[in-house]
Amino acid sequence: MAASNFANQTFDESEEEDEDFNPQPVAASDDENEGVEGDGDAGPKPSRSNSAPRVRPGNDSEDESTLKRRGISPRRRNGRPNDEADEGIDDELDGDNGDDDEGEGEDLNGGLDDDDEDEDDDEDEEAVTGRPRKRRRKGGLNQFFEEEAEVDEDDDAEDDEDDLGNDGFVADTHPDDLAALPEGTETDDRRHRELDRRREMEASMDAERQAEALRERYGRRAAAALTESVVVPKRLLLPGVDDPRIWGVKCKVGKEKEVIMSIMKRMQERQHTKQPMQILSAFERGAGPMAGYIYVEAVQNAHIENALDGIMNVYPRSKLNLVSVKEMPDLLRVTKTEELQIGAYVRVKRGLYTGDLGVVEDVESNGLSVTVRLVPRLNYGIDEDDKNPMLGVNAKGDPLAKRKRMNAVGTNVVATRPPQRLFSENEAKKRHQRYLASTGGALTGKAWNYKNETYEDGFLIKDFRIQHLITQNVNPKLDEVTKLTKGAEDGTERLDLESLAQSLKNNTAENSYQSGDHVEVYDGEQKGISGRTISVAGNIVSIRVEEGELAGQVVDVPMKGLRKRFREGDHVQVIGGSRYRDEVGMILRIKDDRVTVLTDMSMQEITVFSKDLREAGDATGDGRLGNYDIHDLIQMDPATVGCVVKVDRESMRVLDQNGSIRQMLPSQVTNKIEQRKDAIATDRNGSEIRYGDIVREAGGESKSGVIIHIHRAFVFVHNRTQPENAGVFVARCVNVTTVAAKGGRATAADAKTNMAMHSKNGDGAHAPMAPPKSVGRDRMIGKTVTVRKGPYKGVLGIVKNTTETTARIEMHSKAKVITVNKDELIVKDPITGQTIDMSRFGGPRASGSSRPNYSSGSTTTSRIPNDWSAGSRTPMGAGDGGRTPAWGASARTAAWAPHSSSSGGVDGGRTPAWKPQSGSQTAYGGAGNMTSYGGTTTGFGGSGGGGGGRTPAWSSSARTPHAGGEHGFSTSDGFDSFASGGRTPAQGATSGSRTPAWGGGGGGGSSTFSAPTPGKPYDAPTPGGARLHEDFPTPYGSTAPTPAASASTPRFAQDAPTPRGWEAGGGNAPTPTAGAARGANTEPLLNSRFEAAPTPGVGGGMTPAPYGSGGGVGGYGGGGMELMRRRLQLGWARGRGISIVMRSDDSDSGSAGVGSFVPCWAGLGGLGWACAVA
Amino acid sequence: MAGVSMRDLRACMVCSIVQRFSDFRARGCPNCEPILGLANHPEAIQDCTSRVFEGLITMAQPTQSWVAKWQRLEGYVPGVYAVKVVGELPRDIVSALEGEGVKYIPRDGRDVDEDR
Repeated sequence: MAASNFANQTFDESEEEDEDFNPQPVAASDDENEGVEGDGDAGPKPSRSNSAPRVRPGNDSEDESTLKRRGISPRRRNGRPNDEADEGIDDELDGDNGDDDEGEGEDLNGGLDDDDEDEDDDEDEEAVTGRPRKRRRKGGLNQFFEEEAEVDEDDDAEDDEDDLGNDGFVADTHPDDLAALPEGTETDDRRHRELDRRREMEASMDAERQAEALRERYGRRAAAALTESVVVPKRLLLPGVDDPRIWGVKCKVGKEKEVIMSIMKRMQERQHTKQPMQILSAFERGAGPMAGYIYVEAVQNAHIENALDGIMNVYPRSKLNLVSVKEMPDLLRVTKTEELQIGAYVRVKRGLYTGDLGVVEDVESNGLSVTVRLVPRLNYGIDEDDKNPMLGVNAKGDPLAKRKRMNAVGTNVVATRPPQRLFSENEAKKRHQRYLASTGGALTGKAWNYKNETYEDGFLIKDFRIQHLITQNVNPKLDEVTKLTKGAEDGTERLDLESLAQSLKNNTAENSYQSGDHVEVYDGEQKGISGRTISVAGNIVSIRVEEGELAGQVVDVPMKGLRKRFREGDHVQVIGGSRYRDEVGMILRIKDDRVTVLTDMSMQEITVFSKDLREAGDATGDGRLGNYDIHDLIQMDPATVGCVVKVDRESMRVLDQNGSIRQMLPSQVTNKIEQRKDAIATDRNGSEIRYGDIVREAGGESKSGVIIHIHRAFVFVHNRTQPENAGVFVARCVNVTTVAAKGGRATAADAKTNMAMHSKNGDGAHAPMAPPKSVGRDRMIGKTVTVRKGPYKGVLGIVKNTTETTARIEMHSKAKVITVNKDELIVKDPITGQTIDMSRFGGPRASGSSRPNYSSGSTTTSRIPNDWSAGSRTPMGAGDGGRTPAWGASARTAAWAPHSSSSGGVDGGRTPAWKPQSGSQTAYGGAGNMTSYGGTTTGFGGSGGGGGGRTPAWSSSARTPHAGGEHGFSTSDGFDSFASGGRTPAQGATSGSRTPAWGGGGGGGSSTFSAPTPGKPYDAPTPGGARLHEDFPTPYGSTAPTPAASASTPRFAQDAPTPRGWEAGGGNAPTPTAGAARGANTEPLLNSRFEAAPTPGVGGGMTPAPYGSGGGVGGYGGGGMELMRRRLQLGWARGRGISIVMRSDDSDSGSAGVGSFVPCWAGLGGLGWACAVA
Repeated sequence: MAGVSMRDLRACMVCSIVQRFSDFRARGCPNCEPILGLANHPEAIQDCTSRVFEGLITMAQPTQSWVAKWQRLEGYVPGVYAVKVVGELPRDIVSALEGEGVKYIPRDGRDVDEDR
């Protein structure tokens, strides 16, 4: 046997030598063999720790000696270790192949198995192979190696073993070997014998004692492992300088566990190689602050790279972070997971009830599984029938359907799951009777089994594994809790704040403490102290102690032992996650950390945790609440805005746009609307209103105040004298009228709104009218002009484009376009360079656009009525102020018109033309058009009074009259005069001063009218005119004088126009007019305006002309005329109905409205006039 | 072990070794088997091992590692251990351990403060 062994051995040797020639691949495994042998040489030291000694690499020289020795010595000592080593290797190879679970399992455990298992394996193996003796003897030897050689064994290894012919190694020790053996061998032998003896003894013992001994033996061993350091307190285990160091190695976040497993695998792979892993251990701490790192324990960091190189997801070549000795224990610190208590709140992590709050009903003894009470989400099979009636069938057979359904339960449920509702057996019975079974006792009858789930008292009772529950930072909301609360017998809810507290205890939000809070420490070392918080850093709160012996000191306290301290009567605000967030109230009761608060707003008692409270800042005395101050405009909901009218400590009263008062919390405010000071609206009369203007309610209480907000159609107005709502009231824009514009802003001159309307307003008339817009191409365009003032004074250019007030001029001098006010332009003849009177342009135009109007009696008449408006109502009723009579007078004006017309249709024509010139085109036109419109009309009225068609115009521009007068009434002159007059009006318009003056002048006759339309030059005349007209003589006489140019005017009146006009009309201006008007009104007005127009004699016809022209000729389109005419007819037919028509038109924008309006009035006016005449 | 799924891993509540359930069933706990006798006793495995654990340690050389000392893994087999094992051993097992002279150290972190 020995010989054969020897032979085998030599064979081995030769093999090894071969391998030396061809070292790499196979050498490793052989080396391993040698290594093991070397171990054996080193002594039969326990191979259990063989990994350490075997670390030695490159054993070649040793191999030699070993072989020699082996050659001499019998195989005994080599036998087992070698076997086992081989087996171990094979085992690992197997493990590498990953062929079976068990192998892997063993690998995990470092290839070490219990002896028992070894025995088992052996037996199994013998049963299979039928190999008789070897194992037995091995068993014997095993006894010898028991403690030391706990090397893995595997069945497969046996074959290899056989192949190698290692059987012989189990032979008895040869005496020679003994001699060659090192000292330890002797001991081994002795121990061997000792063991044998012990076995015999054991065999002789009775079974019980044997069992006990066995237990003791293993127990001791286990105890040795289990209790080794138990006695040693951890502080004695703290690492020292001699301990291995720990390095942190970066790895891919989330892959820490995989890395550790990979290291484990590599460790096992290399365990028996030349280069086993030299690291001692490696660990990870998963998610959290230590994510992205694994920690490797090693003696030197070179080992780490060696060990980790090539492992996925770990980066040993990046910087290794050496963990200081002091911090090493922290790496392994374990904090106890808060144990779930019955009644605690949890949330479900996955499944149908994801995110739902539940109450722990029961905790299993190992703390790993809990029974949770949830509010069910059931639809009782409703969707089965509706959506997929086949599902029930398919679910059984069709895996696809099944999977679908599982999906439906698994992933997308959260979006589609049924709402939380208590279990209703009635509902369940409807469709799912078959799934329903009552499990409750006869007494309660409230427990049901439905679809394999248990429902008690309507709640779902379900078991969850703890890892499927969120147990920390659950933050139960009170409404959720309420849902989960079992109703008490009497139907009242029994809210268990105790258990709520349980869940809330540890999830103090970081922001729950703010500096300045009164706190007390109720737990921990500093228990009992109280003070004010100074700062909060993470979970540590710094407190300045205010009471006790520590007073004045600053103490750091962990947040968990802290609670806020309040006193009864404190005014507090609810913060944090409570349902009552932002409520403010006074503390009524304090019990532990539960505080009952009487809310300020609803006067309810609410109970909250003290951590959710803070002192309500009395510092809100600055009248602000967060971002919101009194009089701020806030968005309450997408459709509603409101104005803050009262700011309480934590809430505010808001006056919304509908005029109702609401109490709001700052948190309910959607948005604050910044003050828009440039917001513009139009009031009831169409004049613009802005922030800061003083307005008065048109109806209701006629409250007035200053606009503080304009929002869409609403104005919020502040009235200091009004006590309620902080003086704020809300009104619609259309229900206020301007009293005064802020800063004396001239609402007239630059207003885009209709002056005429204003004037009427003053009279209490309504019917605002939009200004007629000039239509068509501005004739200025293409003209050569010079600028007569401003920075561009003197510049020559061509008008390229215009707006109402400005013109863009392309300069001749350089290629540049400038924008200049129109009224700063002088039109030049492009060839001669002579100044051209724009009135000349006006001429054609007048004939083009205004003439028609003019000629069409309707417009004309319409104009008159315009002024008649007041009169129309009370056509002849002198009762309506001076105006109506004035209208009567204006009827005369019409009469007057005839005069002018009599003086020449041209004259009448011009007048209009003139107006448009200055009126529609220039600024005068812009603002003035409308204004002038009324103004002119009135002017006419006045003029009518004055007795000259011009005069009116003149009258509007007080000075002009002179000129006009001087120019005389010769048509040609008239033109000129008008040209100049055209400007004048403009001036007149811009500078209101004259009018007043004028008004003053005329005021002699009529002081009343000057008042109502103070700012409006044109308005003034009207009344004046009106007044004047009342008494025929006066008008004539006075109108002229009134303009201040009293001297000239009269003269003028008498000179130019009057003569003619008067010639025609004679002293009885009115009468003819009346006649004319009558004619016009009755027939001509309606049917043939043209007729009326041309015939100067027809006062109505002519009169209109001036008016029409005055009124903004441009505005009147032919079509508009037709329309007007119809309306007029209608108006006639309906009598009073006219006014309605008019109004409806009034609401329209633009000239049409004006136009139509006017005719109506015209009709009325005519009527009225006729009446008057009659 | 490596490369296999990380699911179904359990940690022994006594020694904190991490294995799959099938391994426990096949061989029991390599360290505690004499006491716990987990092999082929699925119920015992359920009782004495936990699926809830945190932190993995590859223990290569339990004898020399400070980590092993600190985690009280000295004398155990090399392998993968958990830093923290959540769960509670059944009372009778604990008393059995006591009977064996083994002081059971809960590995769920509850005694951390006390020991320091």
